[in-house]
Amino acid sequence: MEPGSAKRRKIGHSRGESAVGNIDAAASSGLSRGRAFILEAEELLDQVKLDYATALEGVDSLLHKIKGSIEAIEAHDALQIAEAATKLEKKHKIQIPFPEPRPSDKSNYKVAFAKPSQFNVVGSYVSKTMIKAQKSHAVDMVVVIPGETLQEKDYLDLRYLYKRAYFLGVVAAALQKDLADDGELSYEYLNGNPLSPILSLKPKVEGEKKEGRLDYRVRIIPCAPDALFPKSKLHLGATLVRKAGGDESKAATKPTPFYNSTVASESCFFPYLKLLRQTEKKCAAFKKACILGRVWLQQRGLGSDMADGGFGHFEWAVLLALLLQSGDNTRGHAPLSTSLSATQLFKAMVQFLSVTNLSEKPCVLGTATLESGTAGPVLFDSVRGLNVAFKMSNWSAAKLHQHAKWTRSLLNDSTADQFTPTFILKADLPWQNYDLITHLNYDGKQDKTQPIDCRGRVWEYSDKVHRVLKRALQDEELGERARSIHIQLPKSSSWDLTKKSSTKQNHTIEIGVLFNAANMTRAVDRGPAAGPSNEEKEECAKFQRFWGEKSELRRFEGDSIRETLIWSSTSSFDLCEEIMRYILKLHLRVGYLEDELTFHGDGFTELIPIKPTDTSVFNAARKAFSSFEKDIRNLDDMPLHVRQIAPICPELRHASVKVPFSTVTKSGPRPLECVISFEASGKWPESIVAIQRTKIAFLRMIGDLLERSKPGEVRTYVGLESSTTTNTELENLAYLDVVYESGPAFRLRIHSDLEEALLTRQSHDKTIDQHHRHQASVLLSNFRRLYNHLPLHTQSINTFATRFPAFSPTIRLLKHWFSAHKLSSHFTPDFIELVALQTFLSPYPWDAPSSPSIGLLRALLFLSRWDWRSEPLIVDTNGDMPSSKRSAIATRLEAWRKIDPLMNHTVLFVATAQESSGVAYTTVNGVAQPSKVVAARMTALAKTACRVIREEGVELDARRLFVPSTKEYDVLLHLSAKSLKSASKVYPSEDLTSTTKSSAGNSRYKNLSTHATEDPLPLPTSPIDSLFEKLEQVYGSGSSAPLVFFRGGEDEKVVGAIWNPTLSRRGFKVNLGTSYKPVGAGKKRKGDDEDGEEAGGEVMVEVNRDAILSEIARVGGELVERIEVQRE
Amino acid sequence: MAPSPQTIGEFSVLPISIPPVPSFPRNVVHYLYVRRNAPKIPTANDSRSLFLANVPVDSTELHLRALFASLVGAGRFESASFEDERKEAEAVAAALDAAPAQAVRLLAAHGKKRKREDQEAVERAEEEAAARLPSTWTRPLRKSGSTAVVLLADEKSVQQVLKAIAKVHKSKKYPTWGGEGNVVSERVPQLGSIWLKAHNQLSYPDRDQLQAAVDAFSTMFTRREREAAEIAKRLRNEPDEDGFVTVTRGGRSAPATRNEAEEAKKMMIEKAEKKKQEMTDFYRFQMRERKKAEQEELVKRFEEDRQKLDAMRQKRGRFVPEA
Repeated sequence: MEPGSAKRRKIGHSRGESAVGNIDAAASSGLSRGRAFILEAEELLDQVKLDYATALEGVDSLLHKIKGSIEAIEAHDALQIAEAATKLEKKHKIQIPFPEPRPSDKSNYKVAFAKPSQFNVVGSYVSKTMIKAQKSHAVDMVVVIPGETLQEKDYLDLRYLYKRAYFLGVVAAALQKDLADDGELSYEYLNGNPLSPILSLKPKVEGEKKEGRLDYRVRIIPCAPDALFPKSKLHLGATLVRKAGGDESKAATKPTPFYNSTVASESCFFPYLKLLRQTEKKCAAFKKACILGRVWLQQRGLGSDMADGGFGHFEWAVLLALLLQSGDNTRGHAPLSTSLSATQLFKAMVQFLSVTNLSEKPCVLGTATLESGTAGPVLFDSVRGLNVAFKMSNWSAAKLHQHAKWTRSLLNDSTADQFTPTFILKADLPWQNYDLITHLNYDGKQDKTQPIDCRGRVWEYSDKVHRVLKRALQDEELGERARSIHIQLPKSSSWDLTKKSSTKQNHTIEIGVLFNAANMTRAVDRGPAAGPSNEEKEECAKFQRFWGEKSELRRFEGDSIRETLIWSSTSSFDLCEEIMRYILKLHLRVGYLEDELTFHGDGFTELIPIKPTDTSVFNAARKAFSSFEKDIRNLDDMPLHVRQIAPICPELRHASVKVPFSTVTKSGPRPLECVISFEASGKWPESIVAIQRTKIAFLRMIGDLLERSKPGEVRTYVGLESSTTTNTELENLAYLDVVYESGPAFRLRIHSDLEEALLTRQSHDKTIDQHHRHQASVLLSNFRRLYNHLPLHTQSINTFATRFPAFSPTIRLLKHWFSAHKLSSHFTPDFIELVALQTFLSPYPWDAPSSPSIGLLRALLFLSRWDWRSEPLIVDTNGDMPSSKRSAIATRLEAWRKIDPLMNHTVLFVATAQESSGVAYTTVNGVAQPSKVVAARMTALAKTACRVIREEGVELDARRLFVPSTKEYDVLLHLSAKSLKSASKVYPSEDLTSTTKSSAGNSRYKNLSTHATEDPLPLPTSPIDSLFEKLEQVYGSGSSAPLVFFRGGEDEKVVGAIWNPTLSRRGFKVNLGTSYKPVGAGKKRKGDDEDGEEAGGEVMVEVNRDAILSEIARVGGELVERIEVQRE
Repeated sequence: MAPSPQTIGEFSVLPISIPPVPSFPRNVVHYLYVRRNAPKIPTANDSRSLFLANVPVDSTELHLRALFASLVGAGRFESASFEDERKEAEAVAAALDAAPAQAVRLLAAHGKKRKREDQEAVERAEEEAAARLPSTWTRPLRKSGSTAVVLLADEKSVQQVLKAIAKVHKSKKYPTWGGEGNVVSERVPQLGSIWLKAHNQLSYPDRDQLQAAVDAFSTMFTRREREAAEIAKRLRNEPDEDGFVTVTRGGRSAPATRNEAEEAKKMMIEKAEKKKQEMTDFYRFQMRERKKAEQEELVKRFEEDRQKLDAMRQKRGRFVPEA
């Protein structure tokens, strides 16, 4: 048995009522399911492990050198701050990195310098939790400012920070002198906190860079001695910056939580170091859990830096340590047991973060009580008196919460691959996360407000933006429009010792919005009801104050009068843009200038184009279908009872690129396909051929009955399909086209269950020969596809299109992508729909897409990562597929690969809840759709697309993903749009069958006059489909075809083709399957008749490419305008 | 281009020059491989027929007629039959013939062959032709690289054709596809968009014509079914050569259909299954054994996971977080 089981039992009884208490149980129960997850996580830990000796070579000696150099600095007595600063800056030609607002020249503070009381190395270097894949590697060295140079009251008004900056300046000056040869010195902000500048030293690398050595840097962090400042004074509600900058007369009264926490954190380095070391000793898996946490956070773009959200590895480690340690409200028990394994700890942390939204409810670890009303996220460590989450913002707390929630639902889904989305996938690409991204140009010069909490103006401004947008888009009363609003701030960078920190005034703030697809399309917001009571009046006033003049009173059904907002846009994206522009203008006065606000993200929907009204068109098609169904059911004199009429075409499942009925005017009617099945009957003849004939008679009868019951309203045509196999009599060829005068047209095929039984019997019958058995099994799979899978598939796609508003447009975009790259003829539409569905049903590490662009990009991501050689695609359409079924599917794929390692028959393996054979969606007429070559091309194209998406970031131009490349094709067939158009409309009385050219030519002119009153025939298939189906039939499809055609949608006028490279020169025999030409063998015997026989053995043949192209030109006639040979 | 060899194996190579088409303006040479027809089962006309391999996809009898006329002059060519046409005809005939499958099966089982009179055969062929569904294309295409058999006037013509082919190589004057000036194309249905439009039209055949085919088929089918039923009935009571009587399922009037037989079998299997299920977990040892098996399964799965992981480790890079 597994090694972990004994441990699990031991801790199994620990229980607690709170969220913190529950996570233990959650973590322990996860083990048995996620066995693979544990193994993979172990492997991951192994892979990311850093070899400290080589990676951070020479760091120890460097640290000693720094220490020595700092210790050698001469101490000096207290001086006026301005005087001391000027002296230092002049002497060493460096700047002291005073935080804003800088100390005024007149201030009386005195600064002194003395030897630091303590040095220490802290952070992930000591705990050895660095990983290879980190963005940057730093070794943190803290230098404690000696207590004698500080005073207790220094916590007020940035005084400590001024002294700290001076101290840092002195250290910088000394190090610059002593360590000029060892590396490059610069200032930077510790985690982007503008109050705490630090010194960073990037060591120079001598000679060649060794393998595995990292570009690390040493951060020298000055800090305050422990317990210098009284904790009670630094609580979150205190107002400690009372004199705002130089303007000493004006006293501020607002609390300064950020400042307070920064100062408090200054004396917490050692306590936390101690805490982490203790936990490491107590809990063996702690370090590993921290590494897992680091990877998880990093893949989600979260980090300790303020711009990264202020929740990084350090915060993770502290939180985990506190959960492992403290005895709080759960009766003195630690919430987590120290005997848990690394993955269990990780899961517990995810669970904890998913139930705790730091910004909504302050989270206190320990016994302290907080005053209510503190703004911003709080994660309070009572023992050390610090808000660990002080660098976080409301939006980053929301982001952390959301990702934790998503990851939790992934970890609870035992059937999905849990590992890759959790740790491997990069989950913070802008277009994978947000439906809309806005760039807001912030101009600091315009902003006259004075920041109080010292977090920087941009931050305070962004906070305001966030608050306004949150109220506008995430109002629960109105119905939450956005699932998340995230603001990406510009990152602070390091700067030179001789310069002041960057005082750039203009910043671009990036705002990402993730829609709630169900609510974002709402054009009318119903606010509070206007009523006589004071409460109601107040509500209305509040509403009006926020929404300004947009708010108006309206009367709704049921006589309720409400404050209402009416928006004019129709699509989700436009609505969101409209609201954002309006509300930001109202409250923050942005958006007056042209380029102040730019919106990105609607590039994709413009491509097809997808309109908000499309859903109703699809619904209209459905409605037309139901009335058609009713017409059939209402027919009297039907010999059998109709059991079901099921639609099977993309138009009737919200999945066609073009909306239904959009092409009617240009061509003959395009019937929507359905199948009809009748009650079971013993009257079907026991012979496949006879069944097919009976069907024809049956269809004819239905047609006659329909025409009779609705005279003048409907026309019916019995049609025959052109057969795909040689044996036309066994196939189901007949169909009935029903064209309504009002527009819609339907194609009906009859289902007979006896046919299936007969085909099944034939395909298993050992007494008939192999060829016929194979033929029967091909017919059987076609039959099942048409009558069993497609109706079910249509049904489930329709269900999901209602459940996920973004699903239908995602399918359409994805189909458009396939056809733009000339792949669509090789894929069944249902396969593409299933790929799109997978991104909704298994969206990890995110949630289901809320807009088509996210849906498309995630589908492309899926395609680029899908290793179809060894993995089946399992779409769990019912949501309850047992793992035994999944493993059976995987085993089946393995078996296929063993039988057919070259993948000639089975390539993509797709299974759903209804269809577990795996090949129903990817095999047509017994041939794999797509073939291996095409599938590989699909993967390559998806990979390229994903690379573009990653590289372009927010600036991604949607059109770039849809630009086809034609240079890979050997041959291009340019089709004539005019001929295609003329070929797609045919009249019944046109004389087309006569043999001579002249008469056929004449008829073309004739139809202009005589067919004016006649209705055109419906299209069996589009002419281009007919042509290429015929060509594929002639040249074969699959691995032996000489030419593989690549074509996109019907509007695509260029068809690419590639010569099959495997058909090389070979010996001659009859029936090579394609046109060959002899090529001179080694010995050439011109006109030597006698040796003909002998030479014949050596004469080789190769594909006669020109002859084939010429044949295509002759077959295509004027449809093919030009054949362009790109490569011989 | 290197001059093409005159023969490959027992085939003579006949190069045909194909006139340029506007969309593909190149002079193209297509190679036809010709030999005397020698099928495995000889027929009367073998001596005066030729076997052609690699016919162009747009071949028609007129095309071949024109081709042979340009080689040996008019009047030698009698007819041509194409491979896929032949195959299709055979398949269709087989399908139509085998319609009442049971009758055939029963007869085969009984070791009797139906002997057909010539007269009957002709009648059947006529019947079948009437029952066939109309084609939806004005002009069929040949599968690429397929074959055809050409029937010439007499044995001498075969000789002459082969000689003419040899001469073609010497003179380098290859015969033109579709005759000089492409006269043939005027007389065969056009390909291209007209062809596709005609296909659209033919896909919706005339209702009466369709109905006639269906009717013809159903008369034929019912008759044959009746015949089959009679045979089956007769066979039930008739001992075979060894004196055994075949036992068939069904009532006194007629043997059961295969379907009924199968359903009965299915029901039997289901019954057995149900009985088996009732007996599980009846004894204690069954439960113990089951649990043991489950445990073993778990261990096995664990091992499998391990192996899978090892396999994944082989593909390096899978465990490194994406940058």
